[in-house]
Amino acid sequence: MIETILEAGRWAPTGSNLQPWKFIVIRNPTTIDLIRKLSPGYFGAAPQAIVICSDKATAYEKGGVMGRDYLTVADCSMAAENMLLAAHALGLGACPMKSFATAAIREVLEIPDGIEPELILIMGYPDEKPSPPPKYPLEEIAFLDRYGQVWPRSK
Amino acid sequence: MRTNQLKHDKLTGDDYLLELVAFLATSARGCLDEPPSYGPFRLIDALSRLTDLPKYAICLKDDEFLHKIKADIDEKKFSVMTNIEEFRIMLDSIVSQVTKQLKARAGA
Repeated sequence: MIETILEAGRWAPTGSNLQPWKFIVIRNPTTIDLIRKLSPGYFGAAPQAIVICSDKATAYEKGGVMGRDYLTVADCSMAAENMLLAAHALGLGACPMKSFATAAIREVLEIPDGIEPELILIMGYPDEKPSPPPKYPLEEIAFLDRYGQVWPRSK
Repeated sequence: MRTNQLKHDKLTGDDYLLELVAFLATSARGCLDEPPSYGPFRLIDALSRLTDLPKYAICLKDDEFLHKIKADIDEKKFSVMTNIEEFRIMLDSIVSQVTKQLKARAGA
């Protein structure tokens, strides 16, 4: 199951085919517990996580400043979304988390220089179905042909 | 989420204190970069976690008042991301309850 999720990440869109990502699957309960304690945004008791890291050094080598500073974040985010959708399709609950202490995660997972933890996806079997948060209506965020021209909603 | 991984029932007071220390230290670091509203969120979440300390530190008495405010906090704390006014009302309510409790215990 986890490999299906990893494959979904591996096939995410990526600028210049940089593929500037590394995925660390965390299953060891002690390591999960350490990550939880060092991540203020880790809520609940998800027993598994995938740490999505960007490879800044390689991205710079192949993609210059744009590769290092922008595509790494965009590409890792697209990989994360693919993985979240795959997890959901497999019946898992998952949540992307950015509120972790980077230095702590680096230390716990022995992440080398040049590799940056970007997001942690925590996942497990959900025991609840939370209500969706409020979202801006399409009329506020979608335009047609030019900025500001409100998207005409279909009737 | 369902799990059998967490071992909180085996924690000692010292373990739990260190967990709180980790939460506060990492929260402090995060607050430099995170959205401003996460500051009060981390503080009130820390308070919720702090109220669990008597479970692990046998020198502390179980305290019904702490259970009550923890429940109130946990029910509304995530509103910081969806409804800041609701979050504000919850914080005001917690402050009010703590004040009344302090007054009562002081015999005022």
